[in-house]
Amino acid sequence: MAFIEVKNLSKIYQMGEVKIKAIENVSFSIDEGELVVILGPSGAGKTTILNILGGMDSPTSGKIIIDGTDISKYNRKELTKYRRYDIGFVFQFYNLVGNLTALENVELANQICKNPRDSKETLKSVGLGDRTDHFPAQLSGGEQQRVSIARALAKNPKILLCDEPTGALDSKTGKMIIELLQDTCHQTKTTTIIITHNAIIAEIADKIIRVKNGTIESTLVNKNPKPVKEIDW
Amino acid sequence: MLIFKNALKKIKNQLGRFISLVFIVALGSAFFAGVRETSSDMIKTLDEYYDETNLMDFRIVSTMGLTDDDLNALKELDNSYIVEENYSYETVIDGNATKIYGLTDNINNITLIDGTVPQNNNECLVMEGSYNIGDTITIEDSNYTDYLSTNTFKVTGIVRSSMYIYKNFGISTVSDGKLDNVIYIPKDTFTLDYYTEIYLIAKDSQEATSYEDDYSETIASLLSELERLAPIQETKRYEQIKTEAMEKVYDAREKLDKTKKENEKKLADALATLNSAQQEINNGYNEIEAGFNELENNRISIEQEFATQEATLNNSLNTINTTLTSLGIPTTSINDSLNALNTQVTNIKNILNTLDPTSEEYAYYNNILTNLNTLITNLNEINNGFNSLSEGRTTWNNTYNETLNTLNENKATLDESQITLNNSFNKYNENYALFQDEINKGLQEIANAEAEIATLEKPEWYLFDREDNSGYTTFLESATKIDSIAAVFPIFFIAVAFLMCLNTMTRMIEEERTEIGIFTSLGISKYKIILSYAFYVLLATSLGIIIGLSIGYTVIPRVLYNVYTNAFILPNLKTYANIPVCITIIEVCLLTMSLVTIYAVNRNFKYAPATLLRPVSPKNGRKVLLEKINFIWKHISFTWKVTFRNLFRYKKRIIMTLIGISGCTALLLTGFGIRDSISKILDTQFKEIQTYDSMLILNEEITSPSSEINNYLQNEDIKNPLYTHMETLTFRTDNKTIDCYALGFETTEIDEYFHLTDTNNNPLTLSDNGAIVTEKIADLLDVSIGDNITLRDSNNEIYIVKIAGISKNYINNYIYMSKEYYDIAFGDITYNTIITNIDNKGDTLLNSNYFSNIQYTEDSISMLQDIIDSMNSIVFLIIGFSSFLAITVLYNLTTINISERLREIATLKVLGFNDKEISMYVYRETIILTIIGIFIGIFFGLALNYFVLTVAETDELIFIKDINYLSYIYTILIMIIFTIIVQIITSFILKKINMIDSLKSVE
Repeated sequence: MAFIEVKNLSKIYQMGEVKIKAIENVSFSIDEGELVVILGPSGAGKTTILNILGGMDSPTSGKIIIDGTDISKYNRKELTKYRRYDIGFVFQFYNLVGNLTALENVELANQICKNPRDSKETLKSVGLGDRTDHFPAQLSGGEQQRVSIARALAKNPKILLCDEPTGALDSKTGKMIIELLQDTCHQTKTTTIIITHNAIIAEIADKIIRVKNGTIESTLVNKNPKPVKEIDW
Repeated sequence: MLIFKNALKKIKNQLGRFISLVFIVALGSAFFAGVRETSSDMIKTLDEYYDETNLMDFRIVSTMGLTDDDLNALKELDNSYIVEENYSYETVIDGNATKIYGLTDNINNITLIDGTVPQNNNECLVMEGSYNIGDTITIEDSNYTDYLSTNTFKVTGIVRSSMYIYKNFGISTVSDGKLDNVIYIPKDTFTLDYYTEIYLIAKDSQEATSYEDDYSETIASLLSELERLAPIQETKRYEQIKTEAMEKVYDAREKLDKTKKENEKKLADALATLNSAQQEINNGYNEIEAGFNELENNRISIEQEFATQEATLNNSLNTINTTLTSLGIPTTSINDSLNALNTQVTNIKNILNTLDPTSEEYAYYNNILTNLNTLITNLNEINNGFNSLSEGRTTWNNTYNETLNTLNENKATLDESQITLNNSFNKYNENYALFQDEINKGLQEIANAEAEIATLEKPEWYLFDREDNSGYTTFLESATKIDSIAAVFPIFFIAVAFLMCLNTMTRMIEEERTEIGIFTSLGISKYKIILSYAFYVLLATSLGIIIGLSIGYTVIPRVLYNVYTNAFILPNLKTYANIPVCITIIEVCLLTMSLVTIYAVNRNFKYAPATLLRPVSPKNGRKVLLEKINFIWKHISFTWKVTFRNLFRYKKRIIMTLIGISGCTALLLTGFGIRDSISKILDTQFKEIQTYDSMLILNEEITSPSSEINNYLQNEDIKNPLYTHMETLTFRTDNKTIDCYALGFETTEIDEYFHLTDTNNNPLTLSDNGAIVTEKIADLLDVSIGDNITLRDSNNEIYIVKIAGISKNYINNYIYMSKEYYDIAFGDITYNTIITNIDNKGDTLLNSNYFSNIQYTEDSISMLQDIIDSMNSIVFLIIGFSSFLAITVLYNLTTINISERLREIATLKVLGFNDKEISMYVYRETIILTIIGIFIGIFFGLALNYFVLTVAETDELIFIKDINYLSYIYTILIMIIFTIIVQIITSFILKKINMIDSLKSVE
């Protein structure tokens, strides 16, 4: 059985009288340690999939089996626990706590989990070993995103979820971030899911899931993922 | 339209924020308007009361009374509007110094609260709280007849008077010098032939507002007229009295002269009559004496004559007897001789008959016979002579005796007359002496009257205005006191409210910059966007102001009025909305709110709509000072580090929160503190300082303790009576006259009833070289030990007292003296009071005739307790308002805190922080701020409490400014409870935060 098994997942938002189907009947599976890119245009439903995968939202129907456990029927409390111990999140706009230094932002995350990585080490591993005491505002966008990744990694999560991690960055910096994600994925064997609308990024993934109008268009296993250095956008 | 809809939608969506905004504005404006308005409402209410009852502007009293002439002169003054005369009389009734007034028609009208107006001279009206309707009041003092036609009055009604609005009626010339009671009787019950006082109301004075400057300006012209008139009328009255007196003297002199003349003539006539009567008597005596003399002379000459006749007769007899003897005829008595002779003759005749007539013998015998006949004839003659002599003698003797008797009788009559006359003389002398006395007396009287006229002092007019009425001025003082409190509290409230609104609005607009961005990018004009927010703000502010002002102008003044006027007898408060202040509040609030809104919205227009659509970048993090102290920072757990960082991130919010929390804490503590302090002074004053339970007022003043009373008290099991002289005196500070009680004790051992200590709690003892005065006196007069203070009694007599000690005291002002020092400062002591503990024996003691009245400490306590109870309402007002403010401020600040950090919190949620951890992440800051705020607040509170109590202190009260530990605990607990309540409310808000929404908002 795959590490992540998504079966017939649907999410319908009730907006007054109107029902909006965000995703419908989505199924896919992801193996442990895989680097997956969920690709699709804006509004295709990829963020909804990520939200549900990340335990921030519950599906209307369908199952999500993570490491053998179905989280689709989790209540609030269980979802919080799930996010806490199993998920690492990387946001488009980093969402760092502005009042905390880079190191502290990492510490913020790892103080709540059972088996955290060393914060400093993690920061070093994302290449910010010398900027631990800087505040987010003193860091460039790429650096901030790296702190964000370090924060996610420090929790030692089962799954690393990245929502448009390069969306707010220039291509050069974006590439560095993608490279970082690829490296960490390979080195730490953390299952990493990147959401993007950028098809080029998809080339580096082990698996590419294309989403369109709330449904899975295709699932492609990339036998030869490109090293980041070779892609360009 | 859309714009307004949008604003209404905002209200609906965040009702809590809107309501809190309305609340804050309401609280602020209610307190601001209410407390500020109170004193002016009070003054207006009183002004109306004064106008309704025609309270006098001036009262004139003269040392020699006032006359109709005075009355007319006053009526003719240009600026006098109403003038009315009245009578008053002070006396002691039922042990209380009572002032009796005539019922006036036009000035100083009383307000009938209950009952009816007196219909006849035996009825009266009383002040609230003294007698009941139907009671009978009797004046014991027999001198009442000088003033009144009757001395018993039935109470027909209860009144209040604008002349006596203060429960402390002032001083009196009778009893212990404190006026206890005022009663009103029909004017014609007074029998005085002069008026004791005349009241005046100045023209236009009722149009002016009492206590305000325009009032004193309005009455000033009448005042100057009165001041000009006074000497004229004084002189007139003086002349009148002098003339009257001189006329009296003149009349008296004339009468005396007349009496003198009349009596002198009468006396002279009487004397003349007496003298002539004496003369007559004397003449009578003379005549009688002459009679006696004549009688005696007659007696002597007649007796001489008788003796001569007798001698002649005896000679003749002897001659004859010789012859007879020779003839042998016995001469033993003439009759014998005659008998013998006749016998002889017969014999001879017989012989002759026998003899011839011619015979010699015959002739012889005839011769013998002739001789014998001659002898007989002679003898008969002699005998006749003797007989007639004897007869003459008898006749004479009779005449003599008769005459003598007559003379003696006459003399006796005369003697009687003389005695009568002598009596008359005595009477005359008596009358004369009386007359002399009377004359002398009359002369003396005239001399005295003349001397009096010579030293006759000019009468003096005393001019009193309303300022001389202690109620009138004390009321203003109370009102001003509210103003001084009003100066602190409301500004505090409004400042907090204003800051809160500002904070809320800027925050709200910051939150909605995206919306502003959208609107601008859609091409909606700046003006309309601003209007949308302005509408929101103005709606909240207007609602708040409407609620605030309607509460502020009705509830708050009433509560304060009831508290502050507990010592007054007043009509109900009329509340007014002060339109100018309303307008100012509305203008200021609306204007500032609009400006803030315009500024905050406008700030956003600087940016391009695109920028606005992005979230504002969070404020830069900075290291806090604490981090520089490495060894502390290292040991602080991570979560606390974050807390400290966050604390110092938004300095504005910290300051606001601290101001809010500490302010509310301070207000709460002040509220509790006021309550503590006032309840504490009662206990301290009556359980620690003065421990007697009653003062027995003696029926009459005595110069030394009475063993009779002592025995009586001992029988009643009342121990250690302390004989005391108690008197109400006054002292003056810059502009006030303040009452104090002077107590002189028979002994310096007063520990049983008075525990006098100085301000450092060292015991004080009475000495012979000065008095112990209470703290407040020393404070008010700014004097210390060794200084002298000047005191006056009700007759304005001045006494100088040296301060030997200053004692702790909280209620009333006292001057304690030993007997020895009293003698020095006031003259020989007399005792009028016994201080002791009598438990429940009051009724028995009052029946003993030793005491006219008993003053129970319990009564003073319960009176003060009333004041304290009403003070509680102000405390609850403060506590209530502060609590509301505290909750609103805390809620407001926490919600702002949350909304500012919505993204951060959402991130934490995504990271897997559970509800508790997230709440704590926010609360930790609030808790720290609350703790610091409470801490600062307690210090503020101490200062505020001190200030408020100092302001609230009267001339007779000192508050203990300590706060009970329990009050600190209450304050802290209330603040903690509020914090918890607010945290519970906010925990729901926190739970509701949707992480997806908050994160995707910038997509």
